[in-house]
Amino acid sequence: MRKTFGAIRAVDGIDLGLEPGRIYGLLGPNGSGKTTLIRLLLGLARPSGGEARVLGTRMPSREILDRIGYMPQGEGLYGELSVWENLRFFGSLYGTLDRSRATAVLELVELSGRERTPALELSGGLRRRLSLAIALVHDPAVLFLDEPTVGIDPALRVQFWDHFRSLVGTGTTILVSSHVMDEADRCDDLLFIRTGKVIARGSGAELRARAGAADLEAAFLAFAGLDSTGRPTGTDQGGAA
Amino acid sequence: MDGRRLLAVTRRVVEGIRRDHRTLALIIVVPLVIIILLGWIIRGSSTPEVRLLVVNADGQAGAAITSALLAATDTAPVVVIDGGSDPAAARDAIADGDADVALIVPDSFEADILTGAEPSLTILTPGVDPIEESDSVREVGLLVSATLAASLPPEISARIPSIERETIYLPPDADALDSIAPVFLGYFAYFFVFILTGISFLRERIGGTLERLLATPVTRGEIVLGYSIGFGVFATVQVLLLTAYVLAGIEVPAIGPLPAFTIGLDVPSAGSVALILAIALSLAFGAVSLGIFLSTFARSELQVLQFIPIVIVPQGLLGGIFWPIENLPALLQPIARVLPVTYAVEGLRAVMITGADLASRTVQIDLAVLTAIALIFVVLAARTIRREIA
Repeated sequence: MRKTFGAIRAVDGIDLGLEPGRIYGLLGPNGSGKTTLIRLLLGLARPSGGEARVLGTRMPSREILDRIGYMPQGEGLYGELSVWENLRFFGSLYGTLDRSRATAVLELVELSGRERTPALELSGGLRRRLSLAIALVHDPAVLFLDEPTVGIDPALRVQFWDHFRSLVGTGTTILVSSHVMDEADRCDDLLFIRTGKVIARGSGAELRARAGAADLEAAFLAFAGLDSTGRPTGTDQGGAA
Repeated sequence: MDGRRLLAVTRRVVEGIRRDHRTLALIIVVPLVIIILLGWIIRGSSTPEVRLLVVNADGQAGAAITSALLAATDTAPVVVIDGGSDPAAARDAIADGDADVALIVPDSFEADILTGAEPSLTILTPGVDPIEESDSVREVGLLVSATLAASLPPEISARIPSIERETIYLPPDADALDSIAPVFLGYFAYFFVFILTGISFLRERIGGTLERLLATPVTRGEIVLGYSIGFGVFATVQVLLLTAYVLAGIEVPAIGPLPAFTIGLDVPSAGSVALILAIALSLAFGAVSLGIFLSTFARSELQVLQFIPIVIVPQGLLGGIFWPIENLPALLQPIARVLPVTYAVEGLRAVMITGADLASRTVQIDLAVLTAIALIFVVLAARTIRREIA
């Protein structure tokens, strides 16, 4: 799949093939094409070349969207509406809102008791939780999470990942993007992305072993052909600073 | 089109506005305050007495006019001041603001009458405020012609017919408010609905909620229609409140130190309120879609406001609110004919002033054009909401 914006190749020949019931991690620096890739998969952007298929349906397809959950990188909440109203609104766009499920989702993201709080009055972390709750409210088969753990405290981050794991146990497929390497190890399959290309793919352990690196960060730099200061290996570009 | 999703979008829009008290006030309270203020200014303003300086340069004949005018002042809002016989002094007096209007009787006045030449009088004003001065000049003109007629011998003055004015629709003593107030019912709704949709839709775009909406099964049509119905609810409340105020005329007697006043503008209306609402709402529907459409071309709330002088002001000038379309310069008329406000103004006046109903050709055309314009913008608005934003 390819996506170009003028001369910029945001997604440059990426071929995904995702198995159901697994957590996939898109790992790469800012501007590497993670968000564009997710938007292509959601049908929010049309590929310049190739095609995006989700659950066997070619995107963009409106029909398949009620089986997909999406947590955008931005907030995507109505500030003047309460937590419950935000959840109910997006939930009812997928058909009849399942109240007990909505309540359960709020409990999961630890927003119970704050149903009546306007989204505007929530802290950044709480807003991320509401955003995740909205992505989950219609019990989707596929979840696209764009940097879901940004601004979330470590304790809740662990809970988020535990929950992702339990969702996958029920057959849900999850694609998570992140630029935080330490949480990426919890994915079943990792895709290192740089300048619109997949530079390496495999489990965390595999990637570390192949790169001969102690951690994922070092592995990423090795696959990207960069040294530990972020400069291309083998060339001396910096000179004396 | 799915009814539940449409309802969800409508409900979201309504809840959003209801929560935002300022916006709510902007839709409901502000137009009412403006129209109350407008009514108060137009109806309550007192016309100051015109100070008329009579300058007589012609001895006896002029003296007769001057004394007749001096005697007639208790019936007209004019105070006559004897200005002597020097026209140059009169110019100074007007320039210094000692009088508003000078009436100069030239030294040839009587001679002209006697020789059969056309006699003339000169009226002098400062030439600073053309609108107010033309009112003064009209008052002076009425007074002078009445005085001159009265000074004629009775057998001739009795033969000058008096003119009785009658009207078909508004009463003869109707004022500007009676013809402007109906128009504001539609124009306010148009203005506020346009600005508010433009801004709320811009927020959808920059706040990421549109992105999220487009990742759900909701259709573009459901979004535009949901917005239209949501804002339509508030536009309806606004139009009904304003209509009630425009039509009401409740006299409140003086209580203690409070002077007597009237609630409402007491504009005589022959037409149906339902038809007024239909015209105003079809205009407002177009404004919702126009707001959504133009929000594509704005990157911030400020840029939405920048559309006011481009979209709202020209329609106020060209739409026939103050100047009839037929009187506009030939080049501007076709432009006025494509503006939705033009048709709403025409329709609202037809309904409220002449009591036109649905059988009236004018009202039919106005409603049809407004609906067509609204539909065009619905399509344009829906097109700018792309599921695929390339």
